[in-house]
Amino acid sequence: MYLSVRVDTEKCIGCKICITSCPEPNVFIFLPEQKLVEVNESRCKACGLCTTTCPKDALSIS
Amino acid sequence: MSKKIITPVASLAHILPEDYRDLVDRGPHGKSVGIKDLGSFKEITEEHPHCAGCGVSLGVRLALAALPAPEDTLVVGTPGCSFFALSQTALNYSNTAFGNQNSVASGLKRMLSIRYPDKDKDVVVMAGDGGIADIGLDMTLHSWFRGEKISTIMLDNEVYGNTGGQESGMSPEGQVLHMAPKGKNFKKIPVFEMARTAGCVYGAKVTIASPKRLGMAVNRAILLARELGPTYIQIYTPCPTNMKFSPADTLRIAKEAGRAHYAFEEFMTEEAAGRIAAMEGGQEVQED
Repeated sequence: MYLSVRVDTEKCIGCKICITSCPEPNVFIFLPEQKLVEVNESRCKACGLCTTTCPKDALSIS
Repeated sequence: MSKKIITPVASLAHILPEDYRDLVDRGPHGKSVGIKDLGSFKEITEEHPHCAGCGVSLGVRLALAALPAPEDTLVVGTPGCSFFALSQTALNYSNTAFGNQNSVASGLKRMLSIRYPDKDKDVVVMAGDGGIADIGLDMTLHSWFRGEKISTIMLDNEVYGNTGGQESGMSPEGQVLHMAPKGKNFKKIPVFEMARTAGCVYGAKVTIASPKRLGMAVNRAILLARELGPTYIQIYTPCPTNMKFSPADTLRIAKEAGRAHYAFEEFMTEEAAGRIAAMEGGQEVQED
């Protein structure tokens, strides 16, 4: 069972701070219309850096 | 190094890997994208074998996203942690013997300026603290003395990460590490100050916790190296595996260092300051 980051779409405001804090490329995809981020789970290493920077607690590792 | 080489023939497009097609359709080549656009284009950095929460891979990713012209850039690296990500990147990359990166980059830059006299081909050295400050210090300094038009980016993790956490010349004084069981007993090598004395036209010291500043520094360094002379950037990239902290704490450690011994610092010559003012129109970069 692999761990990955999950986005709570109700809390996410699309501030993009998680995108610049992630060491892995192309994990977060920004959706400009919905103002949300989407996660490519197969690329996430679950280090948890994005969860520590998210100002709205919208990200969790599970 | 033409932009056309990455466009596949339409009849063969379906047999190419998905990542490659993605790079052709949504890549940064030929567009002016930067760190602020991350997440809306396909990055040139590829999946890499760095540890979870690695500061070096975040430094590499941000620095490569800030390149002004990735299709015209040649990156030169040396063995160490940094080359794991660099060698898997959609870029012209050259690996060298340990410590030789600035000599190789000098030759490549001269060759490229003869082969393409009308184009700006950027040669960027990206190496760790071992490659630049310990084994390659003489080659690095001599390339600065000669005034080679290359940018040097040090990914400073303050430890030999690739070989298991031995003491490096850039480790802070007193740090307990392998080969330094009682704590390191001399100071960090002042490469930043040496760059200023050795003739670099621009230098900056940043941490990965301030991505906007990092992007600004990389952009300035590469654009100034095209015309004026050598430039140097030192990026603090903490290592959770060898400094023994949780991967989720990398940015907290980088922020703390940014308030202590790694505060943002820049130097530039008067000529460089004039060029920067002309390029950016006096815009200040604020970090939150």
